Amino acid sequence: MIPKLCYFLKLLVFIILNNLILKLKLNIDGLLVYFPYDYIYPEQYSYMLELKRTLDAKGHGVLEMPSGTGKTISLLSLIVAYQKAYPLEVTKLVYCSRTVPEIEKVVEELRKLMDYYTKQTEAKNDFLALALSSRKNLCIHPEVSALRFGKEVDGKCHSLTASYIRAQHHSNPSQPVCQFYEEFDAVGRQVPIPPGIYNLDDLKDFGRRKGWCPYFLARYAILHANIVVYSYHYLLDPKIADLVSKELAKKSVVVFDEAHNIDNVCIDSMSVNITRRTLDRCQTNVETLQNTISRIKETDAAKLREEYSRLVEGLKEANVARETDMYLSNPVLPDEILQEAVPGSIRTAEHFVGFMKRFLEYLKARLRIHHVVQESAPQFLKDIYEKVCIDRKPLRFCAERLRSLLRTLEIADIADFSAITLISHFATLVSTYSKGFTIIIEPFEDRTPTIANPVLHFSCMDPSIAIKPVFGRFQSVIITSGTLSPLDIYPRILDFRPVTVASFTMTLARTCLCPLIVGRGNDQVAMTSKFETREDFAVIRNYGNLLLEMSAIVPDGIVAFFTSYIYMENIVASWYEQGILENIQRNKLIFIETQDAAETSMALEKYQEACENGRGAILLSVARGKVSEGIDFVHHYGRAVIMFGVPYVYTQSRILKARLEYLRDQFQIRENDFLTFDAMRHAAQCVGRAIRGKTDYGLMIFADKRYARADKRGKLPRWIQEHLTDGSLNLTIDETVQLGKHFLRQMAQPFRQEDQLGLSLLTLEQLQSEDMLQKIAQIAQQA
Amino acid sequence: MASLSEEVLLVVKRVRQRKQDGTLYLMAERIAWGPEGKDRFTVSHLYADIRCQKISPDGKAKIQLQLVLHTGESTTFHFSNESTALKDRDVAKELLQQLLPKFKKKANKELEEKNRMLQEDPVLFQLYKDLVVSQVISAEEFWANRLSLNSVEHSLSNNNKQEVGISAAFLADIRPQTDGCNGLRYNLTTDIIESIFRTYPTVKQKYAENVPHNMTEKEFWTRFFQSHYFHRDRINTGLQDIFSECAKEDEKGLKSMVTQGVKNPMVDLLSLEDKTLDEGYGTATVPTTSNSSNKSLRENSNSAIIKRFNHHSAMVLAAGLRKAEAPSDQASETSSTDGNSRDSDLFQPPLKKVKLQEAIEYDDLQGDSVRKTISLNLKKSDRYSHGPIPLQSQHYSTSQDIINSISIIQHEMRSYKPRLTQVMSSSAASSAITALSPGGVLMQGGGQQTINQLVPTDVQSELKHLYTAAGELLRHFWSCFPVSTPFLEEKLTGHLEEMLQAAYNKFQAWQTRRMMRKT
Repeated sequence: MIPKLCYFLKLLVFIILNNLILKLKLNIDGLLVYFPYDYIYPEQYSYMLELKRTLDAKGHGVLEMPSGTGKTISLLSLIVAYQKAYPLEVTKLVYCSRTVPEIEKVVEELRKLMDYYTKQTEAKNDFLALALSSRKNLCIHPEVSALRFGKEVDGKCHSLTASYIRAQHHSNPSQPVCQFYEEFDAVGRQVPIPPGIYNLDDLKDFGRRKGWCPYFLARYAILHANIVVYSYHYLLDPKIADLVSKELAKKSVVVFDEAHNIDNVCIDSMSVNITRRTLDRCQTNVETLQNTISRIKETDAAKLREEYSRLVEGLKEANVARETDMYLSNPVLPDEILQEAVPGSIRTAEHFVGFMKRFLEYLKARLRIHHVVQESAPQFLKDIYEKVCIDRKPLRFCAERLRSLLRTLEIADIADFSAITLISHFATLVSTYSKGFTIIIEPFEDRTPTIANPVLHFSCMDPSIAIKPVFGRFQSVIITSGTLSPLDIYPRILDFRPVTVASFTMTLARTCLCPLIVGRGNDQVAMTSKFETREDFAVIRNYGNLLLEMSAIVPDGIVAFFTSYIYMENIVASWYEQGILENIQRNKLIFIETQDAAETSMALEKYQEACENGRGAILLSVARGKVSEGIDFVHHYGRAVIMFGVPYVYTQSRILKARLEYLRDQFQIRENDFLTFDAMRHAAQCVGRAIRGKTDYGLMIFADKRYARADKRGKLPRWIQEHLTDGSLNLTIDETVQLGKHFLRQMAQPFRQEDQLGLSLLTLEQLQSEDMLQKIAQIAQQA
Repeated sequence: MASLSEEVLLVVKRVRQRKQDGTLYLMAERIAWGPEGKDRFTVSHLYADIRCQKISPDGKAKIQLQLVLHTGESTTFHFSNESTALKDRDVAKELLQQLLPKFKKKANKELEEKNRMLQEDPVLFQLYKDLVVSQVISAEEFWANRLSLNSVEHSLSNNNKQEVGISAAFLADIRPQTDGCNGLRYNLTTDIIESIFRTYPTVKQKYAENVPHNMTEKEFWTRFFQSHYFHRDRINTGLQDIFSECAKEDEKGLKSMVTQGVKNPMVDLLSLEDKTLDEGYGTATVPTTSNSSNKSLRENSNSAIIKRFNHHSAMVLAAGLRKAEAPSDQASETSSTDGNSRDSDLFQPPLKKVKLQEAIEYDDLQGDSVRKTISLNLKKSDRYSHGPIPLQSQHYSTSQDIINSISIIQHEMRSYKPRLTQVMSSSAASSAITALSPGGVLMQGGGQQTINQLVPTDVQSELKHLYTAAGELLRHFWSCFPVSTPFLEEKLTGHLEEMLQAAYNKFQAWQTRRMMRKT
C-alpha cells in the first residue's frame, strides 16, 4: 500500500513540475516577466536585465545583441511586463522597425507572448497592440488598393477622402467618396477597437467586417493602444510624424530595432534634391495654380477671401491646441512659427503664387552655373535677398502657406503637385535651419562632365536634428541592433546621453560562425578592393577563383556582396569574359541583384527555389543595397557569405565630404574613423545576414586584406570579433577552402537541444544557479 | 545473316581502314566496310553499338571519321578520295548524326530495361541462364516476346522516371575553339541541343519553323552562334537576324515573370520599405531619366549580361521543374472535378502566415519541439476513412432498420429456448470431430506427407528450373501458331524443334543423373 502511495505522489510531483517548467516565468531584478518559451538563452536574460535598468532610470539605451538570439521577444517580454507592473510609469510602447516584414514579425511575436499571458493568468486580455503601415498595405477599397505604387494609393485615397470632397459629396451625391472612410468617420471613433493583437492583415479583416477604413482606424487607434509597431518614418520623418505621431503620450518607451542605419534615415528625411526637371514640373504647377486662382476668382471670389481670413484664424486655432499639450515639435515647422501670423506679403493667393514664381526663377538662375558651388544656408539666404529681395520670413511660411492654398483651391490630386511641394519644403527648411545643413550645386555628374545635369543638393549633415524631438519627448528610447559597433559612436552622432550602453555576445555550444579573412590569392597577389588596384586583372581573377572554389565546397546557397553596383557590374563582365562564371555555373546557378527592385525580387525568389530543391545557387549582391538591408538568408539559403572588398561609401561625393567635415568640427570624429565605421557596419550587416540563430551556421568570408588591420577588425561587432582567431587573418584561397571544408563538415553533424542545454540554452533551474548568474554577468560588455 | 536484304542508305568508295582501301556502307541499322574487291564486310557495327563519332579537325591533312563503340573499341575510317574526301566525310557524318541518336536511345533503353528485368525477377534470370547461357535459344529469341509483353508496364515505369535536370553550364560546354584560320568551331552534341531547346523554347520553335524548309541544320546552328542572341551584348539585334524575335520573346518572358511578382512576401523588395521617400528627398542621388540614355555602351552591355544570367538561371531552373510539375497539375485538375478536392486547400494557412511563423520560430527555445507535420491532403476523405467499398453495398440500411432488427433479435433471444431433445449425442459429436481432425478417417488424403517434404530441396529447384525452361520453350512453340510467315515456319520446323529436343535431352540427362545417384 505504501509503495503505491509513494508512486502516486511521485507522479503528482512530476506532473506539477512539468507544468511549471513548460513555459518560463522569470524574475528580472524583481520584475515578474512571462517568457513564452521553455528555455532561454543566457544573453536574453542579460539583455532583459540591462533593459530593465534603462527603464527604471527613465533614460535612453544603446544595446547590441546578435540577430537570431531572440532580441525582439526579450524586448517585448520585458516591456510588456513592465507596462503591466507599472501601468502609470510606462503607458505605451512604440516599436519602430525598418521593413514591412519586420513589422509583421514583431507583431506575430507579440501575439505569441500575449497568448501565453492569457493562458497563464486566465484573465481576459486587455492589451491593444497594432501595426501601422502606409495606405498601400492597409487599404481595402477595391479600386484604390489595386494600385501598385504607394504614391498612387495615397493620391487616390486623398481624392476620395479629402474634407472638401466629402463636403461636395453632401451637396452632390454623385461625387465619389470612399464608403469605408465614411463608415469609419460616422461610427468608428465612438466604438473603441476591442483589445487584442492586430497585425496588418488582422486590421484589414477587422475593417472588412465592420466596413471601416483600416488605415484611418489604425491611425486613430494608436492614440490609445498599448503597443504600436510601425516604421521609423512615422517618428523620424517630420513630414509624416506631424500627421501621425504628434499626439503620442510622453510616457512611452520608444524602441528603434535594426537601428544601425538610423543616422541615414534621419538625414534622408531632412534632405532635398532639386533638379532641372523638378523646376520644370514646378513651373507647370505654378501655372496650374495661377489658372485655378483666376478661374475661382471669377466664379467664387468669396472662397479666396474666406481663405485669407481663415489663414490667420486657422493658424491661431492650431496655436491654441498646441499650447494645451506639448506636441512633438516639428522641425519643418518649429514652434515659433505659429506664434506669428503668415506675413502679409504672401497672404493673398496671387501674391503667394507670384512669390513662388520669383523663388522659382531664382532657383533656375542658380542652376545655370558651370562650376560647383557649396554654401551654407545663411549664405544662400543672403544671396536670395540681394538678388530677388526675398526675405527669410515668408520663406519659412512657404510650406504651410502652400498647404493652405491647395486646400482652398480644392485640389484633389496632391500627387501632381509634388514638385511645388518639394520646393516649398526646401524653402521652409533652408530658412529655418542655419546650422547642420549645406547647399551644393553641381552642374554635372562627376562621371559625365560633358552632359549638363545640374542638381541642387540641400543636405542635412546632422542626424541629431531629426531625432532630437524624439529623445527630448519620450522618457526612454532604446536603440538596438545586431550590429552597432563601435557602440560609443551612436550617442555621439545622434547627440544624446544614454544611461546604458552594452554589447552582448552570442553564447554558443558550438562555434557556428566562421569568420575568415582572405587576403591573398594562391598566387600571393593581395586581394583588395582598394581604389588603386580594384581594376587589376589579378585581383579580379583571384576574386573569381575564390567564388569558384567556394561554389564547389559550400552546400546550397552562397551570397556574395560587392562594394558597389558599378563595381559588381564590372567584375561580372570580366568574369564572364574570363570564363569564370561558366565554371561557377557547373556548380551552382547564378543570380544577380539588379537596380530594378522587381527584377531583383524575382531573382531572389528563384535563388531560394534553387536552394530549396537542392541545386544550389549563388546570389551576387551589393552592400548597402536592398538585399543586404532587408533579406535574411537563414539556414540553407546562406551557408556562406563572401564580402568582396571593404564597402566604403563613395568618398568623392561632395555631400559626404561636407558631412565628414561637419562631423569633425562638431563632434570631433575623425574622417577616417567615420568612414571605417560606416564601411564596417555595412560589412557586418552583410555577413550577419547568414547567421540567424544558434542552430544556423555559415561561413563569413571577408575578402580583402585590409580587414586584417586592427582598426577595421576592431570595429566589427563583438560577437563576430571573438571568433576571429589570429590564424584566420591573412589566408590564401587554398587555406580558406581547407578551413571552410573542415568547418562545414563539422557543422553538418547533427546538433541537438541537449548539446546546447546548460551552455547556450538554459532552463529555469539552470538560470537560477549561482555560477550561471555570474557567467551571465560577463555576457554584457559595458562600453 | 540476311545482311544484303538491308536497305543501303549510302555508299562511299575509296575509304581506307587499316591502310586498306575499301568501301563504306551505311545501312538502315548498321555501318559496314568491306575491302576493295571482296564481297564481304570485315567491319560491321550496329548503330546501336556505337557510342559516338569523331571527326578530324578541318585543317588536318587526313580526313578521318572515328567511331567509338560502347565497348571502348574504336574504328577509324580514312577518306582518301582527294577531290571529294571532305564532302564524303561530311555526308557520312551528317547521316550518322541523324541515325545514331535514334539507335542510341533505343539501344540504351533496351539494354537497361533487360538488365532491370533480369535483376528484378529471379525466375526470369534463372530461365535466362537455363535457356540462353546454355545456348538452347538465342538471346534475341528469348527477349523477342518478353519485351513486348512488358511494353505496357515498361512505358508506365518510364513515365515515373525522374527527369534529369539541365546543367547550368551547358553553354559553357560549347566553348568555341579557334581552328587556326580565323574561324570558330563549336562542338554541339545532342545533349547540348536538347538542353538549349529545353531551356529556350523559343529557339526550339525557330528550329521547327526553319530547319528543313529554309535552311539546313548546320546553317541554323551557325546562325545561332553568330547571332547576337547567343552573345552577351544582346542590345542591337538586327532585323535580319532570325533570333531577334527570340530575344524579344525572352525579354517579354522576363518582363512577365517580373510583373507577376513574387509569391513569397518576405522576399518582395518592392513592398519591403514601408514608406519610401518621395522623389526629390533624401541624400542618395536620384537616377534621373536623362541619365540612363547617356550610359555608355559598355555599361549597357554589362547590365545586359546581368539580366541574361538571371534569365538563364531562371530558365534552367524552370526547365528542370516544368516536367515535374506537369503531371501533378494534371492530377490536381482531374481531382478537382470530383467535387470535394479544393476544400482541403482551405485548411492550409496562407503562405504569408506560414512564412511569418517560420521567421519568428526558435526551435531550440521550444521545449519538446513539435515535429512539423505535413497536413494530409485528402482529395476524397470518405475513401480514407472507409476504404474501398464494393459497389453493391451502396444500399445502406437506415438507422431505423438497424434499431428494428436489433430489437427483433433481442426479442428472439429473450424468447429463445433450447430444444435439448433434438441435439446430437455427445459420442456421435466427438467421433465426428476426430474424423475431421488431422489423421482422422476423413482427413486421410491430406494427412500424408507431401511430396515437397519427401524430395530434397535442391532436386526440387532443379526440377522447377527444368519445368519452367520447358514451359518457356513450349510457349515459344505455341506462339508460332498460326504459322503465318515464312519466318515462323522456319522457326517451327528448324531450330525450335532442335530446341525442344535439346530441352528434352537436358531433362533426360538430369533424370539419369538422378537415377544414378539414387542407385
